[in-house]
Amino acid sequence: MRILVVVVLAAGMLAAPSAHGGNLLRDAIDQAIEAGQAGKLGPPATDGEFLRRVTLDLTGLIPTSAEARAFLDDPSPYKRERLIDSLVDRPEYARRMQVVFDVMWLERRPNAQVPADAWRGYLRKQFAANRPLDQVVREILSADGSDPKTRPAAAFALERAGDPHVMTRDVARIFLGRDITCSQCHDHILYDDYKQSHYYGLFAFFNRTYLADNGGPDGKAALGEHAEGDVTYKSVFKKKVTSTTGPHVIDATDVKEAPITKGEEYWAYPVGKGRAVPRQSRRALLPALLTSEQTPEFRRTLANRLWAMMMGRGLVHPVDLDHSDNPASHPELLVLLGDSLATSGYDLKAFLRELAKTRAYSRSSEPPPGLSPGDLAPEKFTVAIMKPLTPEQMGWAVMGATGVVSNYKLAVEHDLYEVNPKLRDLIKSDPRRTQLGIELAEEELHRRLDPSINGFVQHFARPPGQAQDAQTSTVNQALFLTNGDPLQTWLSNGGTYLNGRLVALADPSSVAEELYLSTLTRRPTPEERDEVTRYLADRGKDRPRAMRELAWALLTSTEFRFNH
Amino acid sequence: MRCEYACNSAEHTLSRRRFLGGMAAAGTVGMAGGFSRFLQPAAAAAMNGKQKHLLVVWLAGGASQLETWDPKPKTITGGPFRSIETSVPGVRISELMPKTARQMHRMALVRGVNTHEDDHGKGQVLMHTGRPEAPGNPQPHLGSLAARFMTDESNPLPGYIHITPGGGGSGTSEAAFLGPKYNAMFVGNGQPPANTARSGWFDEPGDVARHTMRRQLNDRFATRRRTADTEAYTSTYDQAQQLMARRDVFDVTKEPAEVLARYGTHDFGRHCMLARRLIEAGSTYVQVSHSNYDTHNENFSFHLEQVGEFDQSFAALLDDLAQRGLLEHTLVVVMSEFGRTPTINQLYGRDHWSKAWSVAMAGCGITAGNVVGKTNEKGTEVVDREVGAGHLFHTMLSAVGLDPKAGYEVDGRSIQIADPAAAPIKELLI
Repeated sequence: MRILVVVVLAAGMLAAPSAHGGNLLRDAIDQAIEAGQAGKLGPPATDGEFLRRVTLDLTGLIPTSAEARAFLDDPSPYKRERLIDSLVDRPEYARRMQVVFDVMWLERRPNAQVPADAWRGYLRKQFAANRPLDQVVREILSADGSDPKTRPAAAFALERAGDPHVMTRDVARIFLGRDITCSQCHDHILYDDYKQSHYYGLFAFFNRTYLADNGGPDGKAALGEHAEGDVTYKSVFKKKVTSTTGPHVIDATDVKEAPITKGEEYWAYPVGKGRAVPRQSRRALLPALLTSEQTPEFRRTLANRLWAMMMGRGLVHPVDLDHSDNPASHPELLVLLGDSLATSGYDLKAFLRELAKTRAYSRSSEPPPGLSPGDLAPEKFTVAIMKPLTPEQMGWAVMGATGVVSNYKLAVEHDLYEVNPKLRDLIKSDPRRTQLGIELAEEELHRRLDPSINGFVQHFARPPGQAQDAQTSTVNQALFLTNGDPLQTWLSNGGTYLNGRLVALADPSSVAEELYLSTLTRRPTPEERDEVTRYLADRGKDRPRAMRELAWALLTSTEFRFNH
Repeated sequence: MRCEYACNSAEHTLSRRRFLGGMAAAGTVGMAGGFSRFLQPAAAAAMNGKQKHLLVVWLAGGASQLETWDPKPKTITGGPFRSIETSVPGVRISELMPKTARQMHRMALVRGVNTHEDDHGKGQVLMHTGRPEAPGNPQPHLGSLAARFMTDESNPLPGYIHITPGGGGSGTSEAAFLGPKYNAMFVGNGQPPANTARSGWFDEPGDVARHTMRRQLNDRFATRRRTADTEAYTSTYDQAQQLMARRDVFDVTKEPAEVLARYGTHDFGRHCMLARRLIEAGSTYVQVSHSNYDTHNENFSFHLEQVGEFDQSFAALLDDLAQRGLLEHTLVVVMSEFGRTPTINQLYGRDHWSKAWSVAMAGCGITAGNVVGKTNEKGTEVVDREVGAGHLFHTMLSAVGLDPKAGYEVDGRSIQIADPAAAPIKELLI
């Protein structure tokens, strides 16, 4: 399904009829980005760059050399669109979205209350079914951990120990695009938009909530809530003025609360640190309000975060500093993206597909000659922005390139299809079962390889409990890739691993081709073929050794490290 | 209502434009935020030949002030040990530290410490960040600040090295918003940092060849697509190679046997010797942990053993630093998460006690021979010049020349480097 632009476009620039005739979201995006930029836009990415980029963005993997060859050699002019459509239907798409939203929502907190598998499995199921995202958000903000069926969804609050301040800060940052941490103590000094009343309005949804030491399945912790407790606050600058607030989102008025009858405050009364359940829950008022039409910040922030994931930078940047002193680079476009997302019923798949089909997404990251630094300012999106691979992408890309993934896949498929011929026939006899077989194989592959990903997460991720958007290069990462065990061993495996495949090729030019396709998803240039040939002439006496060195150089190159 | 989060309102001095300019300069890799009053202090310091160092000896678990810096012999709380004279007339410390007593003229004591925090984890955060732990809003540890603001980018050694028993440690968040580049590198057990030995899969010519190839690839890529992020990435490989080349700094077996004998032939002795080697080689911040002082029972026999180890190694360390002229550029701090109760419990132990305890300092920026603060006769309360973790933090930063009032911008929040509610202990500073 394509997202149609049904919103009345406010700006004349966007209202102009599309050059392609339709009013697809992708056309509106390209008109907004390209307006006034004639002659300054980067050329389209090459097929190899595009294949690598979109595969990483939508599945978290890099293509195999066979996939790369097939795509590069496919003469069809429609191959990019077909690729996008097929990628979002793969189980790896749900996996990639699981990682994206797990990292966005839990920010790599240790899974102390809900096992990681349960929470991630829950997320994956939502993305595989392409459930409307607003529904998923309502679910994770509503679940209190008491019902085994929805306990995984409660991880968002449980892993934050239900702490009202942490919940306030993170809901504002993650769902409303506003880091209002400062406003706990006073109106923001630099940004007129961030008021202390915003902080405490949101805080009032959570101030009665706490982590009870019972109430969950098998006596585990769950969220409890008191029936009373009002929110008052003082600015550190005006210590004599005390303000009182009810629950509200940003500048909206306080939510109307039903009156509480004395003596009937609770379904379950508080006992010690046990779980209290009030008849009127303040926390339960937030999810519907947050995701409703009345809170445009929600759809705007979600759209901006998804844009940033695909394009390498938010229209509002940084993504959690949305305020009038830090305006969006393309304000009307951001409104349009948010509204389109909402109008589509928060159809994530359709939205990402549409972004992937824009010209903006498919531009080369290589600037055309003659442009000034001003023309190339990242907020203009005139060329593609290079994105460092996320820790998970880096791990899977390294394992993909060295042949670990394909070898494990073969083993998994062997176990699934070859051990028991009856099972194989059963799976192959029915398309639904065939699909199930593909999903089972993907899950099993992850079960076996996820431990290897942890090493990459350890070295490449930001600290737990903090925004994970920005990444830093560290000497520990370089040491890990230079001398660390997993990579050096993977580079040395023979057989159908990369090293084995390269050693089996006699012609240096073929070596170069297989090497470049496996690591960088493109064929080498003549210069690069010569370089490999020379390298092998110098170092090629011990061929496995030489191949290992070459492959290492490509895997640690800038071109590999960045989604470019 | 007390503001739990340490954002320094009074110091919001930066203009919006300057801040947004800083934001624009920062890439997607690297920290989101510009630094206002730190204009390359490390590079400037290095050029002046004034590189400062910090060496923190962490007595994990909470060492007893009564068995170390503030003995109360012959009182009901004093325990069995006596006090002894030191090289500073009139200043007496526990008899468990005879060698350190002879170094007292190089040191200063803060005897009026009250940190209001009796929890191990929170006390540790408090002492390392100079402010109470705020859930969901972590602040950088002292070592990460030193790595960020006192370390030259060209220094091959990591800015923040933590030597622990066993070399373990999980400091993945000590740098907080400064970014993982400024987290601790953990070493111990005589082992150099992880992954600093050349992988056995590569011989030396192969190692050279693979790096040459990597550089060629990167140079070609960079002709058209060079950004701050790609530069930051490629430079980490150069740093890695430099660190690998300096690997021998971590090898304490290079020291003569008599030196080791002076430090003590135990882990803590070796670790103090390593700390001296690292400072000598130019490391900015080194922390040595000595474990474990959490003596809820048998406080006295444990301290007899532990403080004995500490005394020998620490005295040798101070002596070496002074002999080599390093002490005047190196601030040495001995601290814990808290002290121990004056009251002796029925298991002959002392429990957690943050109300009245001591911290020792020496070296760079510190007035030697000084004693600041006083506890009462039984050591149950501070009676003169009470200071908290914030004051100590301000003092440490000031001593090494970092302005504790300087602010930096992180994701739109302006934060003072040290808790604005506190100030340095002036009488301790030169």
